[in-house]
Amino acid sequence: MNGINDLDLKDFVTKTLTAVFDTMLSMKIEQIDGGAEGIDGGNQIVGSVGFAGKVMGNVNILVSNDFARLMTAEMLGMETDKIESEEEVFDVIGELCNMVGGGIKSRLCDSGFTCELSIPSVTEGNDLKIESRGWDRCEHFTFKCMENNALVQIYMKTAE
Amino acid sequence: MALKILTVDDSKTIRMIVKKAFRPYDCEMFEGENGIEGLAVASKEKPDLIVLDITMPVMTGNEMLEKLKSEDSLKDIPVIMLTAESGQDNVMQIVKMGVTDYMVKPFKGEQLIERVEKILKLEPKKEEKAVEDTAKKYFSEDDGIQFLALPSKVTRPISVEVDSHLKEKLEEMKSSGLKKFILDLRKVSETNVSLIKLILLIIQKCEKEAISIRLVGSPEMGKELKSFQETSEIPLDFSIDDAKANF
Repeated sequence: MNGINDLDLKDFVTKTLTAVFDTMLSMKIEQIDGGAEGIDGGNQIVGSVGFAGKVMGNVNILVSNDFARLMTAEMLGMETDKIESEEEVFDVIGELCNMVGGGIKSRLCDSGFTCELSIPSVTEGNDLKIESRGWDRCEHFTFKCMENNALVQIYMKTAE
Repeated sequence: MALKILTVDDSKTIRMIVKKAFRPYDCEMFEGENGIEGLAVASKEKPDLIVLDITMPVMTGNEMLEKLKSEDSLKDIPVIMLTAESGQDNVMQIVKMGVTDYMVKPFKGEQLIERVEKILKLEPKKEEKAVEDTAKKYFSEDDGIQFLALPSKVTRPISVEVDSHLKEKLEEMKSSGLKKFILDLRKVSETNVSLIKLILLIIQKCEKEAISIRLVGSPEMGKELKSFQETSEIPLDFSIDDAKANF
């Protein structure tokens, strides 16, 4: 088994996110250069799911509130103005995060890094910044979907 | 008698997707947010099928399944497990637990129904006849051409409704040898994302079946379509006669 530095995280994230967006949202996404600056600076939503085992870490998905509402409408088959509450948006982002986390976790397990997944959590705020210190690997990838961007951050370390 | 389907998932979104997938069929839907609620509903209702998520707070799907299998009155209920994890170890574990089938998220409602139909015989709702009639609202055939006239505002539900009839219509065209399709946008008064996505979807599906398609709409609609990158190159005729002549 190779170390975590040999894992092709870009491939893991891209394949998983593409499948989730395509199947659940009928949205095509593409990975682009750039980081958090690609996300609108206003109100943002971040979904987060942790994994622990031979390898431990987190997967975060950061999107603007507007994009989160668009994703919610697509997933629930309605117009954005029919979204009844933020709870619906949180539930959709949490579930999408769970699917993305599950896909990445499966790839980690198949690479020999067995681990378990946590239940997703969702946070909303302005200009969210996520610190990632003390991890062996910290990567972020930006994806473009129509006029919107999604930032996926993944950080991990091997268990001591 | 309607089949009883129990969906157990902590995500309201997934419960909605499952419920929506069963909507065309004669089924009575029940829900639970976690294993404990799921067990309570299962004991009371004795469902014909349980669609069970694995990762849930309070009581996981695995724990609920274990308890189901230990109850004589519940152990034979077919269970389809939902999991976000497709890893080999996880799949092996699910299979060993004695589930009837499993689905890896992400999934589409129709994929779930395909799995269910291997276990249960689903009967369409009687109201489905009415749904068939709604197809006539949008689709018509004249002079060897299939017409699809969209309403003034295309909402997401309308888009889904049209798409659900489109496949059938294209198959009918294929079997009867029709090769011309007119997408009539003359009644459309509002251009939105649902409309643009639907137009692109219809064009894509027609092209896949080698069916010629023309769009008909007002000059204003032409300007609207040009303002979207995805539809800016699509030619638009201003009358049905022009469209027929341009095939």
